[in-house]
Amino acid sequence: MYVEFLGIPRERAGISELKVEAETFGQLLGTLALRYPALQELITADGLHPSIAANLNGDVFVKDLATPLAEGDRLLILSADAGG
Amino acid sequence: MQFGYHGNYLRIDVSAAIGDRVPLSDTVLRQYLGGSGLGARLLLDEGGATADPLSPEAPLIFAFSPLVGSPLTTSAKFAVVSKSPLTERFNDSLASSGFAVAGKRCGCDAIVIVGRAAAWSVLVINDGDVRLEPADDLLGDSCQVAEEKLRARLGADYRIASIGPAGERAVRYATISHDGRHAGRGGSGAVLGSKRIKAIAVRGTKYCEWAHPRELTELSRDLSKRSFGPATAKYRELGTATNLLTFNRFGTLPTRNFQIGTFEEAPSISPEQLRVEHARTRSSCVACTIGCEHIYSLGHGKVRLEYESLFALGSLCGVSDGTAVLRASKRCDELGIDTISTGGSIAFAMECVERGLLDEPWLEFGSGEAVLKAIELIGQREGIGAILAEGSRKAAQMIGQGSIAFAPQVKGLEIPGYEPRALQTMALGFAVGARGADHNRSGAYDVDFSDKVDRRNATLDSVRHAIDTEDRAALMDSLILCKFLRGVFTDFQAEAAVMLQAVTGWDVTADELRETARRIVATKRQVNMLAGWTPDEDTLPERFLDAPLPNDPAATLTRDRLQELVNEYHRQRGW
Repeated sequence: MYVEFLGIPRERAGISELKVEAETFGQLLGTLALRYPALQELITADGLHPSIAANLNGDVFVKDLATPLAEGDRLLILSADAGG
Repeated sequence: MQFGYHGNYLRIDVSAAIGDRVPLSDTVLRQYLGGSGLGARLLLDEGGATADPLSPEAPLIFAFSPLVGSPLTTSAKFAVVSKSPLTERFNDSLASSGFAVAGKRCGCDAIVIVGRAAAWSVLVINDGDVRLEPADDLLGDSCQVAEEKLRARLGADYRIASIGPAGERAVRYATISHDGRHAGRGGSGAVLGSKRIKAIAVRGTKYCEWAHPRELTELSRDLSKRSFGPATAKYRELGTATNLLTFNRFGTLPTRNFQIGTFEEAPSISPEQLRVEHARTRSSCVACTIGCEHIYSLGHGKVRLEYESLFALGSLCGVSDGTAVLRASKRCDELGIDTISTGGSIAFAMECVERGLLDEPWLEFGSGEAVLKAIELIGQREGIGAILAEGSRKAAQMIGQGSIAFAPQVKGLEIPGYEPRALQTMALGFAVGARGADHNRSGAYDVDFSDKVDRRNATLDSVRHAIDTEDRAALMDSLILCKFLRGVFTDFQAEAAVMLQAVTGWDVTADELRETARRIVATKRQVNMLAGWTPDEDTLPERFLDAPLPNDPAATLTRDRLQELVNEYHRQRGW
């Protein structure tokens, strides 16, 4: 699957996109926290910090760490407050 | 003893240069707080709902708030309230600057201006004493130049709010500028210009006491500390312009007058690209710890750029030249015009040209030079600019041929940078907004970008979320605190009650503030009802109804669905 970073998560990760293997949302966050230490302030034991949101394939926003991920999925991680 | 307030407003008739102090009761202050709420109440009391907004009798209100002058971060704000010359409905535009602090130190909780000066003037308010000075030497000056000249003339301790050439010429979306910030939407600059007031200069020495200063200091310290955290990192580190690529990725970036929700050249005008080509610095409003202003170098000058200006003068007009967008934004600042309404009106005209409804072949989507030329014409009210200075709704009425269907406005106010078909809770917020399509009075986009709703398929459950964000905005705009703080609060009403207790000594509760917010929203509606509101105003332009968003066929908002949402909104409001 693929992860796309937007906004602050992109600043912290230093990249816009990566390919990664994960079966659940929770597993993915664990992998990201290990691989990109600067993301750790945005990832808590319960999931993402409230200022950060995750969206699956541009469709639904996900919070449940048990959310299954499939090969070919694209998970977007972005700043949650969309306003200007 | 009264805490946090002076207990009066300064009513100035500029026809005679007379200022009177009008008492404000504790009851009114507690029911409407300040800012937008107090301004709405005073607009009703002063008969502003039924007046022609550009007539001498129409009131223009600068409303401060109980928190202004306190150490609470982001509290140096004020609301400018009037009937809008663009929408003929309620208008409140907020801004941050030293004008709020200095204005309140004149010993009043609001300044209400009525009348029309015999000649172009500067209104000087020195500790509450009122006089008019000639403004002949300022006419035609940009807001920034007028401000500099007046500080040189009056003294650096004066705070200035001024209009640019567009306000002098009654462009219906002219702004009031101060310290480089603008009370931007709805044309309050045209209202001030109609009174032949080029600028207002304020200076004062009257301070309010706080009921519980020690507690207030502690609260302020805690709020400032939290304002440095992750909840505001986006604004601090990237600025609002970072929305551009996010919205483009979601297919919600209004492009070429809302014909589509993606802009293939978005990366070229993104802040990530702009900062490669233009040095960038950061700045803060007065008394703010967030520091959201991102300022780009431009030749020998500099320009502040927000997402709304970037989308309106960029993707909405199909412009991919980042430098042209910066120049356009800077020119809007100088002329004193709202960038959203400017971009919306120009993009509308570009589509009219594309469809053969307007014979202005130079006005093409994608041309940065055309945007710059159109801005000049709007500021001067010359040529096509005279039509576009009226806003897209009135322009469509003049052009005819069915163009109102794609004029990007609600109640006459141009739609900000959120594609309604793909953000349908926001679509409801736009449709029912008291001042028209508005991202500052409805924060429903927050809901659309969450797991609470399906953004492309709003249900009746979306309505309560839209109401919640509207109520929260009404409260923040009346206290006043910056909405960029919203992420630091877990229960905003509860925390706001504690702050208000510390400032005023009132035994105010979260529930009382929820009721206050509803009262303020209802008061804005009351203004609109008196101004002639009809139910068919609570809708979106034809373009957005029944047809899918071209880049996202799942994003379809039917007319029936929107009407159901609006009806449910009115039902839940008890209207």
